[in-house]
Amino acid sequence: MRKQIAIVEDEPALRENYSAALARLGYQVKTYGNRRAALQAFEVHLPDLAIIDIALEDEAEGGFDLCRALRAQSAELPIIFLTARDSELDAVSGLRLGADDFLTKDVSLVHLAARVAALFRRVDALRRPDHAGQVLQRGALAVDTEKMQTTWNGHAVTLSLTEFWIVHALARNPGHVKNRQQLMDAANVVLDDNTVTSHVKRLRRKFLEVDSTFDAIQTVYGMGYRWLE
Amino acid sequence: MSIRSQLLIIALTTLLLPWAGCQYARELESTLRVSQENSLQAAAATMANALSAQPTRVFNENEAGGPFDANDGDRYAVALPNQPLLDGYREDWNVAIEPTSLVPAPFGARLQLGLTERFLFFFLEVDDPKFDPEPADVHLAQDHFDRVTLTFRWTDGAIQSYFFATSAPGLIEAQSILPGEDGSDHATPEPRIQAYWRQSTAGYRLEGRVPRALVGSRLWVEVVDGASGRSAGFTAAAANRGGRLFFATPGLDELLATFISPGTRATVVDANDLKLGVAGALSGSAVDADDGATWYRRFMADDTARWPLQITAPDHVEGHSVTTALDGHATAEWLRGSHREPILVAAAPITIEGRTRGAVVLEQAGDQLLDLRDRALNRLLNLTLLASALAAAVAFGVATWISIRIGRLRLAAESAIGSDGSIRLDMPGSSGADEIGALSRGFERLLSRLDEHSRYLRTLGGKLSHELRTPLTIVRSSLDNLESEGIRADQRGYLTRAREGVLRLQSILSALGAASRVEESIKQAESVSFDLKALLESAIAAYRDGFRAVRFEFHAPDDACFARGAPELIVQMLDKLIENAVDFCPSGGKIGVALIRGGGHYELSVQNDGPPIPPGMLDRLFESLFEQRSGHDDRPHFGLGLYIVRLIAEFHGGNARAANRTDGGGAIFTVTLPLI
Repeated sequence: MRKQIAIVEDEPALRENYSAALARLGYQVKTYGNRRAALQAFEVHLPDLAIIDIALEDEAEGGFDLCRALRAQSAELPIIFLTARDSELDAVSGLRLGADDFLTKDVSLVHLAARVAALFRRVDALRRPDHAGQVLQRGALAVDTEKMQTTWNGHAVTLSLTEFWIVHALARNPGHVKNRQQLMDAANVVLDDNTVTSHVKRLRRKFLEVDSTFDAIQTVYGMGYRWLE
Repeated sequence: MSIRSQLLIIALTTLLLPWAGCQYARELESTLRVSQENSLQAAAATMANALSAQPTRVFNENEAGGPFDANDGDRYAVALPNQPLLDGYREDWNVAIEPTSLVPAPFGARLQLGLTERFLFFFLEVDDPKFDPEPADVHLAQDHFDRVTLTFRWTDGAIQSYFFATSAPGLIEAQSILPGEDGSDHATPEPRIQAYWRQSTAGYRLEGRVPRALVGSRLWVEVVDGASGRSAGFTAAAANRGGRLFFATPGLDELLATFISPGTRATVVDANDLKLGVAGALSGSAVDADDGATWYRRFMADDTARWPLQITAPDHVEGHSVTTALDGHATAEWLRGSHREPILVAAAPITIEGRTRGAVVLEQAGDQLLDLRDRALNRLLNLTLLASALAAAVAFGVATWISIRIGRLRLAAESAIGSDGSIRLDMPGSSGADEIGALSRGFERLLSRLDEHSRYLRTLGGKLSHELRTPLTIVRSSLDNLESEGIRADQRGYLTRAREGVLRLQSILSALGAASRVEESIKQAESVSFDLKALLESAIAAYRDGFRAVRFEFHAPDDACFARGAPELIVQMLDKLIENAVDFCPSGGKIGVALIRGGGHYELSVQNDGPPIPPGMLDRLFESLFEQRSGHDDRPHFGLGLYIVRLIAEFHGGNARAANRTDGGGAIFTVTLPLI
C-alpha cells in the first residue's frame, strides 16, 4: 500500500512542486492550502506523514496549531516543518511541538525526499519492537541508526532528524573535527553556518536536559565541532 | 560677527539718549543764558536811566573836563577798602595795581593815591639812596634837602602847597608853605597832614594822608632831590594844567546798593572808564569748574574757555562791554572768572543831555545757571547712562543666552549622527516656544525622518532576503522537478545555467540577510565565560588553513584571557574582520592579530598590509550598507561585514574603530571588549 503524505502549504507553486516530486517517488500526496482545510481532512483520515508550513495564509503560526492538533490525534505520526525563516527553527524547538524534523524551504527536493524516506524508515523500525537495530555506542551515548533514536545514560533524547544526523556524524568518529559542511552533508541539508551553530546549540541543550554535566560536543572555533568521549 | 556683538552694538545705540539729553540741556542753557543777558541788560539800562536823572550824586563836582591823561599828571585815587596804617609800607592798601611814575621823572619816583571816607592817602617811592636831611632852620629857597611837595588847587582857583621833609625819618607832619611877610615862603607845620618817611638803601618811601577837607580838585606832586637839586613831577607853578584828581563819588556806593539785587555787582564808571562807585558782590560759588563731578561739561557743554577772562582793576573796568557802553550802546557779554566760573557782564551808558557821561556795569555770576544745567545734565546723564548700561547688559545677556542655545543646538546637530551611524533624536531646547525652539524641533523632525530612513535601509537587506526566498524556492523546486521529469540532453545546459543562477541569487540573499541574522542571534545569545585567547588561537589556526595566500601573526598575553560573552558571535566577528583584512591584504602579506589587556578592557586588533583607508571613510566604515571597495571579486558585498563587527562588539559592551597604521602600510581595525 502506498504511503500517504499530506502537504499543507499556502504557496500553490511550491505545493505543486513538492507534491509532484513526492508523487514521482510513488507516494500518494494530498495537498492543502490552509489550516482549516487540512484539519477537516485529517479528522476523516490521517495521512502517514505530514509536511507543514508554519505560516499559513493569514495565520503566522497556523502550522504550529495544526501540528498540535495532529499530535493530539496521533503520537507517532511523523511531522516535518517547513519554514521560510531560520529564526522559526528556534521557535519550533522552544515550543516542543513534537515535530520530527524541520527544514528551511531552501531544502532541495532530493533532500526532502531523503527526509521523508528516513522518517518512514524510522516509523517502520519502531513498529517492529523486537528488532535489534544497529546501535552505535559511545560511552553514555547510544545511537540507534535503525530507529533513529538516541539515548544518553539510558535516557531517551528526543532529536529532530537533522539533529540526529549531526550527533551521528560527530559520534561515529569521536575526536575528529567535523566542519559545518561535513555536518550539513551528513544531515542532508543545505544550511548556512549560522544555522549549523544554532542546531548544535539546541543539541547541547537537549542533552543537558537529561545530564547537566554534558559537554561531549566541543566547539573548535573557526573549524567545527568534535565529539569527546 | 557674533550675535552677541551685534546685539551689543544695537544696545550701544541707546547712548544716543544721553547725547540727545545733552543737546537739550545745551539748548536749555543757551536759552536761559540769553534770558539772563536780557534781564541783566535791562537792569543795567534801568539803573543808567535812574542815575542819569541825578547826575550830582553820580559825578564829582570837579574840573573833570576832557579825557583823563596820565601824562598830564591826572591821577585816580582808588577806593581803599580799609584805612591803612601810616608805616611806609603799602601792603595793607590791598590794591592790586602798582604805583605809577611821576611825569616828568628824571629819577625814579612812583606815586599811588588811595581814598577812604575821610582821607586821601598817598604812597610815594623815590629812588634816592642818599638821604639829605632837612636843616634845623629851614630856608626853603636856599636850603638843599630831600622833600616832597603836594600842591592842591580848588575849583575856585585857590592853591595851597605842603611839603614833607625831615631830619629823622619816621612819622612826620607836613608843613604848609605860606607866603611870608617878607615875600619869601616860609613853612608852618600842618599837623592834620601826616606821613611816614621810611628810608632804605634804595631810597625812601613816603606814606601819608590828607583829610578830605584839605583836598582840592587838582593835585601836583613834586619830589626834589636835595643833593642834585633835580626834581620830578609837576608843580603848580610849572604848569597850570593837568594834575586833576579823579576818585569815586562819595555816597554813590550807597546809592548803587539800593538798586542791585543780591549776587550782583554794580559799577559806575565815568567817561574815562574810571570807577565812580561800586556796590554789591558776586556770589561766585567756590566750586572749581574743573571738578570731576562735571567732567562731562568739557565735551558735552559749551566750553567757557573761549570766553575772555575777567580782569578786575581797582581803578577801572576792563572789557568789551564797558567800551561799547561808553560808546553809547548797551551790551552784555560773558566772561570767565578766576575759577573759570562764568560771569555775565551787562553795561549801559549813562547819557545826560545827549552826552555819554559814564556807564553802569552790572556783573552777575552765571553759576546759578550752570549749576542748574549741571544738575539737570548730571541727573539726565546718570539716568540715561544707567539705562544704556542696563539695556546693554540685558541685550548682552539675551544675546549670550541665544548664542549659548544656538551653540548647543549646533553641537548637538553636529554630533547627532554618531561615528557609528546611530542617530540621536533629542535636540536641546526643543521645548522652547521661540524660533530657536522651533528650529530645534525642526531638527528633531529631520533627524527622526533620517533615522526612519536609515533604519529602513538597515532592515532592507533582511526583508529583501526574506521576501525573495519563497519565489527563489519555487524556482529551485521547479528546476528539481524538471530534472526529475527527465529532459533531453541538449536541454541540460540550460538547466545547469539556471541552477547556477539560482545558487548565485541564493548567496546574494544570504549575504543581504547576514546582518539581520546576526541581530537575531544576538537577541538569543547567551553570555558565558570563556578564554578569549584560546578561542583566538583556535580560530587563527583555522584561518591559516583557510587563507594560505597570507601569513597570520598572533600576539596575546601569556596567561588566559577570560571574557564574558557569546563565543560563537566573537568568532563570527573575527571572521568578518579577517575576511576584510584578507580582501585588502596583498598576496604574501601579513595579517597581524593582537590581543592586549589593559584599562578595564581587551583590545583586539586586526591589521593588514593593504592600502591605507582614505581618512574621510574611517568613521563611516562601521555603518550599515557602507561599501567603499570597487568590486574586484565575484562575491557579493553589501557593506555589512564591518557593521556586523560593530553589532557584535556593541552587544559585548565594547566598540569598534578603524585607523591607518602610522607607517602608512595598511589599516588596523580595533575592537574593545570589556574585561569580566
